[in-house]
Amino acid sequence: MIQFKNFVAAFGGRKVIRALTFNLPANSITAIIGASGSGKTTLLRALCRMNDRVKNFRVEGNVLIDGMDIYRPDTDVYALRRNVGLVFQKPCVFPKSIFDNAVFGVKEKMHRKEYPDLVEKVLREVFLWEEVKDRLGEKATTLSQGQQQRLTLARTLAVGPQVLLMDEPTSSLDPKSTAAIEKLVQSLKSRHTILWVTHQHDQAHSIADKVLIIENGQIAPFETPVARPEQSSSFTRVLQNVQEYPE
Amino acid sequence: MAEKMVRVLIGCITFLIVALLFSILGVMLLKGLPAMHAGFLFEESRDFGRAGGVYYQSIGTLILMGVAVLWSLPVALGSVLFQTEYLDTGKLKTFLTQLTYILNATPTILFGLVGYLLFGVYLDTGVSWVTGSLILAVMILPTLQVSIREAVEALPEKYREAGMALGLSRPTQIWRIILPQSFYGIVTGVFLGLARAAGETAAIMFTATTFSGIQFPQSFSDPVPTLQTHILVLAQEASNPESIAQAWGAGLVLLGLVFLLTLTAWAFRARVVMESEL
Repeated sequence: MIQFKNFVAAFGGRKVIRALTFNLPANSITAIIGASGSGKTTLLRALCRMNDRVKNFRVEGNVLIDGMDIYRPDTDVYALRRNVGLVFQKPCVFPKSIFDNAVFGVKEKMHRKEYPDLVEKVLREVFLWEEVKDRLGEKATTLSQGQQQRLTLARTLAVGPQVLLMDEPTSSLDPKSTAAIEKLVQSLKSRHTILWVTHQHDQAHSIADKVLIIENGQIAPFETPVARPEQSSSFTRVLQNVQEYPE
Repeated sequence: MAEKMVRVLIGCITFLIVALLFSILGVMLLKGLPAMHAGFLFEESRDFGRAGGVYYQSIGTLILMGVAVLWSLPVALGSVLFQTEYLDTGKLKTFLTQLTYILNATPTILFGLVGYLLFGVYLDTGVSWVTGSLILAVMILPTLQVSIREAVEALPEKYREAGMALGLSRPTQIWRIILPQSFYGIVTGVFLGLARAAGETAAIMFTATTFSGIQFPQSFSDPVPTLQTHILVLAQEASNPESIAQAWGAGLVLLGLVFLLTLTAWAFRARVVMESEL
């Protein structure tokens, strides 16, 4: 479970997140929607302490993951980031092979002999295995944007995070790839706590167990999504006639 | 109209620079080529440099350049990584950058003088290739540092962020992301540093070289002959046409070496640009 207690995130004197207090249940998908500049991304980055290097960034209050305050001075930031994976808006693959990208985060942590099994496992998890199994040695940059995004997700999963933070992961993707990611995230819910940031209300309601609205750094009362077909994601609607994704 | 005038003016200035470069090249070729013969690069100089080739001088120059880069590269790389990956305060970064530029602007004769006083007088190590390479290392440090810093800073921030998000520690990020992705920039810096070292005379004149009587250095305290000193000494014998011809020949070899290094640096720099656009 993730708990925010009077959490404030600010850049110098400018508060981006203001006295946030709410809980995110484990093994669920929570969508956060809000306009540009409302503090969505700052909230995500604060959860894995990605803004630690940003000048003037400061926090107040507490963020607890399974009861542990992640901003305690003795927190192992690197271990935290391995436990709280972040998937960016635009896929960022390293100019290396698909195989190397998949194991990039675990190379120091496990033996070389274990790589192939791990690569297959995580690529299957993100429904990419069938598409790339014959060209794992090729550069990851040759993949389509949608495939690259799934590869970055596989790379994150390989590290074994408990929490997955998704920062508008479909905003640069076509409808088919978007649907693939949406379906994929649903399949990961049982093993991960997922926080999905988006500015698309339809998408948030179609994929999430809970939807939170963030405005001016504050969470507005959230609503429980109603799974009605007419409220399903625009992308999902587009895909109603699209063939089921591989696997 | 005004824009046209500015364009013409800029075009003229560019032409002047290019013409200057080509005229130097032309003179070097005209004067240097007659001295060239089959064994010029591989023969020992004879008759106090008036005959023979520049074999040991070329080797001496390469030794000084190569060892200087070996000293300088770890320092330059370390200071760049410290500034880009570990320093968070902008003021200290700016201060260190300014220091680099000041070091770059220091007249090279001062390096020679300080090196001579430190090594030759106080430490009494005498004139040796080790001393010379250390002084050259300090001299080429800014060139290497600026070039490496450009490459590291040109690395898209997304790579660092992706590494951070995977929980990689800073040393791991440096080893797995920053260094491999900046590789071509680092190599560019090395070649530019080598080229700078190859063109240096004043700093090594007092500390590392002698004109004649030496071939390969036999110990750490031996001096080496270099192309630069060879040219300088021969050019002082203006009344002797053989000496002058040999000096032009050695000059052409040195220029060729610098050109080769610079062109190689350009080739690597092109790769840096391509990588940063990925």
